[in-house]
Amino acid sequence: MSVIQEGIDALMPIMPQFILIIAALIVPAIGLKSGKASSIFTMAAAALAIAVTAYMMYDGYTDSFMDIFEFNDFTGLMTVLFLIVLILVSLISYSGSETRKHHGEYFALLIVATVGMIFVAGASNLIALFIGIELASISSYALVAFKKNDPASAEASVKYLIIGGLSTALSLYGISLLYGLTGSVAISDVAQYLAEGSFTWTYIVAVITVIAGFGFKIAMVPFHFWAPDVYEGAPTPVTTFLAIGSKKMGFIVFFKIFLMMFILAQVLGGIPEMQWLFAFLAAATMTLGNLIAISQTSIKRMLAYSSIAQAGYILIVLAVGSSYALEGGLFHMITHVFMKGGAFIVVAALCARGLSENISDYRGLAKRAPLVAFAMMLFLFSLAGIPPLAGFDSKFVLFSSAVTPDGTWIWLVAVAVINSAISLYYYARVVKAMYVDKGASTEKMRVPMPFAIAIAICAIATVAIGIYPGPIIELCESAVKAFLLM
Amino acid sequence: MIMDYAWLIPLIPLLGFVAVGFFGKKLPEGGGYIAIGTAIIAFVISALVSYEYLTGDLFAASQPYVADIQWLAFGKYEINFGIYIDSLTCVMMLFSSFISTLIFVYSIGYMHGEGQRKRRYYAEIALFLSGMLGLILASNYLEMFIFWEIMGVCSYLLIGFWSFKHPEGDEASIKAASAAKKAFLVTRLGDVCFMTGLFVLLWSFGNLDFTTLFDPAEIAGADGTMILIGSLLLFGGVIGKSAQFPLQDWLPDAMAGPTTVSALIHAATMVKAGVYLVARSYPLFIQNADVMLLVAIIGGVTAFVAASMAMNNMNIKRVLAYSTISQLGYMIMALGAGGYLIAMEGEVEASIGYTAGVFHMVNHAFFKALLFMCAGSVIHAVGTEDMRKMGGLSKKMKITSATMLIGSLSIAGFPLLSGFWSKDLILEAAMEPSILGLPAGTIFLFLFALAAITAFMTAFYMFRMWFMTFKGQPKEASEHCHGESPRSMTVPLIILSIFAACSGFLIFLGLNNIITFSVLDHGSGVEYLVGGFGHTAGHIFESIFTNVWTYVSMALALFGILLAYLMYCKGSIDPARFNSNGESKIYKFLTARYFFPQLYDQIALKLGYGVARGVDYIDKNLVDGTVNGISNAVVGGSGSMRKMQSGYVRDYAAFIIVGVIVLVAILYVIVSWGGA
Repeated sequence: MSVIQEGIDALMPIMPQFILIIAALIVPAIGLKSGKASSIFTMAAAALAIAVTAYMMYDGYTDSFMDIFEFNDFTGLMTVLFLIVLILVSLISYSGSETRKHHGEYFALLIVATVGMIFVAGASNLIALFIGIELASISSYALVAFKKNDPASAEASVKYLIIGGLSTALSLYGISLLYGLTGSVAISDVAQYLAEGSFTWTYIVAVITVIAGFGFKIAMVPFHFWAPDVYEGAPTPVTTFLAIGSKKMGFIVFFKIFLMMFILAQVLGGIPEMQWLFAFLAAATMTLGNLIAISQTSIKRMLAYSSIAQAGYILIVLAVGSSYALEGGLFHMITHVFMKGGAFIVVAALCARGLSENISDYRGLAKRAPLVAFAMMLFLFSLAGIPPLAGFDSKFVLFSSAVTPDGTWIWLVAVAVINSAISLYYYARVVKAMYVDKGASTEKMRVPMPFAIAIAICAIATVAIGIYPGPIIELCESAVKAFLLM
Repeated sequence: MIMDYAWLIPLIPLLGFVAVGFFGKKLPEGGGYIAIGTAIIAFVISALVSYEYLTGDLFAASQPYVADIQWLAFGKYEINFGIYIDSLTCVMMLFSSFISTLIFVYSIGYMHGEGQRKRRYYAEIALFLSGMLGLILASNYLEMFIFWEIMGVCSYLLIGFWSFKHPEGDEASIKAASAAKKAFLVTRLGDVCFMTGLFVLLWSFGNLDFTTLFDPAEIAGADGTMILIGSLLLFGGVIGKSAQFPLQDWLPDAMAGPTTVSALIHAATMVKAGVYLVARSYPLFIQNADVMLLVAIIGGVTAFVAASMAMNNMNIKRVLAYSTISQLGYMIMALGAGGYLIAMEGEVEASIGYTAGVFHMVNHAFFKALLFMCAGSVIHAVGTEDMRKMGGLSKKMKITSATMLIGSLSIAGFPLLSGFWSKDLILEAAMEPSILGLPAGTIFLFLFALAAITAFMTAFYMFRMWFMTFKGQPKEASEHCHGESPRSMTVPLIILSIFAACSGFLIFLGLNNIITFSVLDHGSGVEYLVGGFGHTAGHIFESIFTNVWTYVSMALALFGILLAYLMYCKGSIDPARFNSNGESKIYKFLTARYFFPQLYDQIALKLGYGVARGVDYIDKNLVDGTVNGISNAVVGGSGSMRKMQSGYVRDYAAFIIVGVIVLVAILYVIVSWGGA
């Protein structure tokens, strides 16, 4: 009895992952029989994991697993976020036209990738961090190729694999240099060293290779160009997963290494020059993403560029480098899951009903599927930052974090606000196509039930968080507190 | 205390929006009666709240009523959601809800034949009203901005309302759609300024509550430069929303929507929000005389430019749209002139600019709603908006022609009608700084001249419109006219015409004491009130009629009416003599709207889209090309490697390496620059 108890105690910090891994082992067996059953099984496992995590957070549980993984409010919040992503993606995966075969493997890969992301959220040393990233990445390479018999999907996957491999090499190179410099793989030691350290060539190269390697994950300029190709080629549920899931993982890595470093450096007095680097990267990423999005004709590519722009907004956190900015960043990451996820799910749903990814195909959609069109309008307006939707609130909190007493980053706020306005142009184009233009067909269209449920969840979250953001902000606040103690 | 329930005022139309949106299909008239009901309730509560506030102690002490609940708390900032009631709020919410009620009633008749789409229409106008009332009652700038944006989205939807199946065919549908987009995007330009202004103010004050921002002690403690920048940015928002020069162009295009929507936008909501923002932000704006000078100049130029564009337009609704812009310019100019005086002189007792601007906003709401609804009645009857196809309608549409005459006389500033009083005050306000010999006196003299010419032009184009529509020989479209519009349309016309005629007298009934701008200076304990300019009715009367400029503006207005009569009714002067049959350069210049639309197209489409395409091109080709070159050089020539699908990947990979090198270089520069 006591042995079992001890075992459970030891495993407790990674209990959500543990549940998921077991599910990932079972799901291929179910997948042989029915896609629907494996989807439901995946969602059930995720729901169980959410329940466990929520209970742990409610209980105020914090503990570490073998000094490589730490469960606290930050890890908990991110775990729940990733699990929500998993549920949304599983919900839309089996009834679509793009992921028809090999359901067992598909769901197993999805679950494993999620486990990797959760591991990154709680990782307290660089090796664990790296393994988590690789677990998530390698699974996603395979997922991208899941549109069988489609050359575009295969091509996207190969691209993703090669570029991903390169960025992995870069980040590993950076990590090894950091280890060489500090003699430790604990993230807190590394951040401490970086904060105190003086600039040497080794230091610069180590930092830049790490930035480049992980910058790939969040599609930061100038490491962004894979994103539109991969997002377009991958099956839409997988695109959703990449856009709202694996991107968040990349940000967590940045927060863990660099935000920690900046906050520590500020305690020591002095603004690290590297904050300027991130400010430029933020401005460049959002501007480039928004400008290129304007001229896109494929909605998936447009959303991909808009994702790049959103990454630019979140990079403000690293430029400002304060705990309050992180609060805004986490808040924006959460709202982004629902609004961007919602938009991609709508695309997937319409895809399942034979609509192409061309924006011109969305003409007259408001007549054909009024509720779906309305939800899409909500998501796009939320992405553009129209109040009182969730995207406005999180953008406001995020941007206001750059309004610091010394006014160093006020220009970045101006750039971000102007970018938001630019983004409205291409979002409004889709809304116009749906509501104003005449479509080729006026035939009514029904999206499959699982899609409808996923869209409804995202739409309700987008509106509800917009009107009553208090609880979410509080969650972010406690997550940030836990994060700083890590 | 009914004031504690003031939050119901925006909420009830919002509930109306939800109810109509969900159940409108099953309700009679697409839920129109629900929309009317919510508007009436909003008006009644507004009236009760206003009565309680204006008779209470708070008003006597020049204090606002504020009730807040916390909405957002992050970092060191707290954002409230609440209500802020002062005399300006009372005036605004009363006329907004009252006029909206009448417009809603009128819609029942006007939109009767619209079928299924009525549900969407009534849902959206209820949301529009909710947005406006929320904006008026907001207790901080962020809350105001939220409602401001809600109205923006609503106007996008409403202007595009007829884009599915416009009564005038496909081309008009496309026009409606692009007009909606234009309205949305142009006002968005203003919104960027507004939003950036919010951040600047948040930074300077650490808060966005009006109670904090308007507190003289807080203002004294804040950074002056930041208040200047913040004020300018807020005014940028006004320029977008209230269609001021040089962003005036979207409003005439927004005429593509149903006429009732135009009435709502022009009279009761939307564009008035900008003027309201200036009036509301007076405590901040008066900190810098230059801001107020800019406000006045923009207002004066807008008034003139828009009025001149209305002179030769043939579309009845567009003439009214230009007149709205022009009148908004008047209001903004008055507010600017009054504020300039306060900013320069400190405690001026007799600056009438604020009173004039707000007063004109109220009067304009009545006569412009009336004019639009009359125009709607005409369009409803004849089925066209082209005035060249009308004429001689006064016999068939007696009520419409009589009420429209009252509206036109009022806006033209015919003595004793409402427009006369406020316009006179505006001219006086514009004159004041130069009489007092302030530094910018010459500029204000020039603005006064512009305003006076505008007064003449207003009278001319309004009566040109009236004569072309109702007098002269009936043209093709007039033949189809079936007679007067239904009662649900004419009754609101009659009610509004009474107000349009008489609302000016309110100034003698104590309105001058309500529309005053007050600052309670906590620092010195001195309270000073601005406006009111003398407290007895006799005093006002005397100051208006002993002023020589009153008679000048009166003469200009009468001359304008006379000229229009001679040209378009009696026919003794042929309009062609002035414009060489539409060939003269000025005529073409005006028809082309000073070439502003082309300018925007050049900037927005060619430049904006061009930049986007350019960046895309660079991203795809140039960078790839360069990277190709570099990678070839590095790899040692790629002659053997054919450029296949994977070729791109190699380029991308090379690009990552280049990116790393560039980043290292940038960081090195930053470090060495930071060290130096």
